[in-house]
Amino acid sequence: MGLFERFFNNKHNSSSPMAEAGSAVTARQRLQFVLVHDRAEISPATLALIKDDIIAVLSRRIRIDREHVTMQLTQTERETRLVVDIPLLGDADLNLPGRAVGSPRRPLTSQSS
Amino acid sequence: MSATVITITSGKGGVGKTTTTANLGIALAMQGKRVVVFDGDVGLRNLDIVMGLENRIVYDVIDYVEGRCRLRQALVRDKRVTAGELYLLPTAQTRDKSAINPRQMVMVCDELRKDFDYILIDSPAGIEQGFQNALAPADRVLVVLNPEVSSVRDADRVIGLIEARGKGPAQLIVNRLAPQRVRKQEMLSVQDIVSVLSTEVIGIVPEDEAILSASNRGIPVVLNGKTPAAQAFHDIALRLLGHQVPLVEPQSVSWWQRLLGLS
Repeated sequence: MGLFERFFNNKHNSSSPMAEAGSAVTARQRLQFVLVHDRAEISPATLALIKDDIIAVLSRRIRIDREHVTMQLTQTERETRLVVDIPLLGDADLNLPGRAVGSPRRPLTSQSS
Repeated sequence: MSATVITITSGKGGVGKTTTTANLGIALAMQGKRVVVFDGDVGLRNLDIVMGLENRIVYDVIDYVEGRCRLRQALVRDKRVTAGELYLLPTAQTRDKSAINPRQMVMVCDELRKDFDYILIDSPAGIEQGFQNALAPADRVLVVLNPEVSSVRDADRVIGLIEARGKGPAQLIVNRLAPQRVRKQEMLSVQDIVSVLSTEVIGIVPEDEAILSASNRGIPVVLNGKTPAAQAFHDIALRLLGHQVPLVEPQSVSWWQRLLGLS
């Protein structure tokens, strides 16, 4: 798995309608990827380290689905943001004993994870 | 009367800076302007070749800067243009970029400003001293790029550097566009480029076979005939002069596409 898939999490990349289009589609995606990294001056390697750090910090307090954490630099007109998506693990996802008493309730918005 | 200094740059090499400089210089002169095209690529000069003036060079700008001649002696008149005035200011082929510095570039251009309307500087590729030299005297900066990932990426970097030097906003010339390939989704469109670079486009120059033979002969395309690229360069020259010339939408079928039978 290349850096592109790992850090850009480009769901369009492998979808068939896009794949069948001309190479200009790929050119656009690659261009957006390199430009957002060039402009932010954050390399994919740095992003990987940040991702590890975030996982480590969050795992001390909550159960997260480490395998599906995604990070993406996005850019609008004059603003760059780092979007991190962290799926939480519920009890149903774990074959583990129930959570400790007093552990925070999962927010309703994360039920789908 | 004071000239406008326009620097033509790109970051990436081989995208058409020199061809653009030569054609825009001639097109502006054909509009009756007094123009100098100034080769900023010390050690790798090519503007003289593209203009077809290589046999007429006696002195160059480095000779002037180092006191071996007057500036007028370094200027090569292009007599093919009769409407305005067109001169080439060549650089040295056997020296390197350190032979002239940004302050001297400004001094040379200030000297020329009195007598001309436009000074077009052909910047070398890269973002090192040659680029910094070419940028120093600029009033306007045109960034030439091809509809290709590496070229657009380099253009983005260069646009940032131009803004950081207070020389922005730059304007784009999208060179070597093949509209039929854009329609087939095989090539980035002008719209793609604009949406990632957020920079104004001043011209779209289509891929044109005539460019190679023009360079072979030393007769830039704007000088004779109405090839697609020649028309595009004339349009850019008019826009530089402040005329409202609509930009050709690359995905629409335009007169020159019909002319080439590409639509």
